[in-house]
Amino acid sequence: MDVFLQIFFDGLVIGAFYSLIALGYTMVYGIIKLLNFAHGDFYMLGAFIGYALLSFFTGDGGLNAGLLGIGAVFIVTMIIVGLAGMGVERIAYRPLLTAPRLSILITAIGVSLSLEYASMIGWGASYKVYPIKLPKNGLEIIGAQISFAQIGLIVLSALLMIGLRLFIEKTIYGKAMRAIALDQAACSLMGINVYRIISLTFFIGAFLAAGAGIMSGVYYGTINFMMGFIIGLKAFTAAVLGGIGNITGAMIGGLVLGLVESYGTYYLGGSWKDVLAFGILILFLVFKPTGILGAKEMERM
Amino acid sequence: MKSLLKLTNVNSYYGKIRALNNLSLEINEGEIVALLGSNGAGKSTTLKTISGLIKPKSGEIEWNGQSLVGVPPHKIVESGIIHVPEGRRIFGGLTITENLELGAFTFRKNKKWVKEGIERSFDLFPRLKERAKQPAGTLSGGEQQMLAISRGLMGDPKLLMLDEPSMGLAPIIVQEIMRIIKEINKQGTTILLIEQNAKAALRLANRGYLIEIGNIILHDTADVLREDDKIIKAYLGA
Repeated sequence: MDVFLQIFFDGLVIGAFYSLIALGYTMVYGIIKLLNFAHGDFYMLGAFIGYALLSFFTGDGGLNAGLLGIGAVFIVTMIIVGLAGMGVERIAYRPLLTAPRLSILITAIGVSLSLEYASMIGWGASYKVYPIKLPKNGLEIIGAQISFAQIGLIVLSALLMIGLRLFIEKTIYGKAMRAIALDQAACSLMGINVYRIISLTFFIGAFLAAGAGIMSGVYYGTINFMMGFIIGLKAFTAAVLGGIGNITGAMIGGLVLGLVESYGTYYLGGSWKDVLAFGILILFLVFKPTGILGAKEMERM
Repeated sequence: MKSLLKLTNVNSYYGKIRALNNLSLEINEGEIVALLGSNGAGKSTTLKTISGLIKPKSGEIEWNGQSLVGVPPHKIVESGIIHVPEGRRIFGGLTITENLELGAFTFRKNKKWVKEGIERSFDLFPRLKERAKQPAGTLSGGEQQMLAISRGLMGDPKLLMLDEPSMGLAPIIVQEIMRIIKEINKQGTTILLIEQNAKAALRLANRGYLIEIGNIILHDTADVLREDDKIIKAYLGA
């Protein structure tokens, strides 16, 4: 039981990262039907910009920035990466919105490679050690260890997701996003500047992915310019799992994937981790391409 | 009467196909103008060109003395032209209230306007009020049309363009919709109406234009058009 619970906690943390990234995938897909394969790289960019800012503010890497400083770095990083997301949309995707789907998909792969290798040039190809470490102490729940850091990451992720939900459900801009996913031309006729809302969607997607990026840097301790590649594919898997285009689906898909991976790693061995994740992707694509929530919830976003 | 909207020699294309061929028409303040014609004549294209969904290749569109050519659709809405498109195009997955709120997107900062607008819509169509929190996709065709019109009104139009509001609806609902259009006009909104149902349209309108292959071939007051042989033969039944 203690091991089972232990794996559950670990899976939850990884799942939360997947969920945060999957949200951007699914929102962008919902609104312009693009699988943004560059999306994982916003996670990487978040980790690196967070790394740069933290290194700058904490000097040699002490904890002297304090919680407030770290919080500020978090927010600033997320905003910078959010703006980068908007920039990518404006430069690379918008001119192709009316072009055949394949052009924009290939462009997404190009953007992904550009971001990865630009980061490599900027920060180098080697692994970077994150300037802050999380304290190891925590709670013991029926024999399983959960650190305060893990709890913090889970809570923070949950808050971000709740915030997003409220934004999408309650604000006029969120409603406009859902409406654009349904009928773009009708939205123009309501006086909605469709491009601006698409831009906002990219901002939010990159913003959340960047949050996951810093959190994973802090959590795992090392970052690398290719870290967004695999996790981007995993987040895509999570989005498909939940039903691509569906916000709640992306959250659930991420958590499910995180848990499956943790349990799989424990019971089958670490080398099976990716096999499990992508095996699930294939199974879903073959047998239930609409995902867990896809068929039930008609509204696509 | 003051001229509100004036199209002069407008040419619009779908790819290489010319859909509007030197089309000219004029709408005066306070009028109801009917745009008649068979399928594919260019009626919807005319509305899409005015609302900016299609950019004309050449010609001039003048609105309150300003050119609309090349102005993006959302700016045209802000200037007071609202286009309720063919097939209603309501947001089926969003609730009725949300649909109305989006209709008032240009007034999003003015909470009071949005609130009052929703109340006004519910006064106009009490049936919408009962189902305010339901997804708009669950409404019947007639109710969806009512929602589409209310949603258009939420943007405070000076000119409301309606594309076949009676399409696919039972005669009794058509009557109700026509009555409401008359009512909206009485309250000061100018109306440009596309209708397959020429009889109903000409009963409502002050003037009418007959469009064929992207060109206006006839225009006159509704009273004269009702007696016109060509119209009777083609659209009103002998």
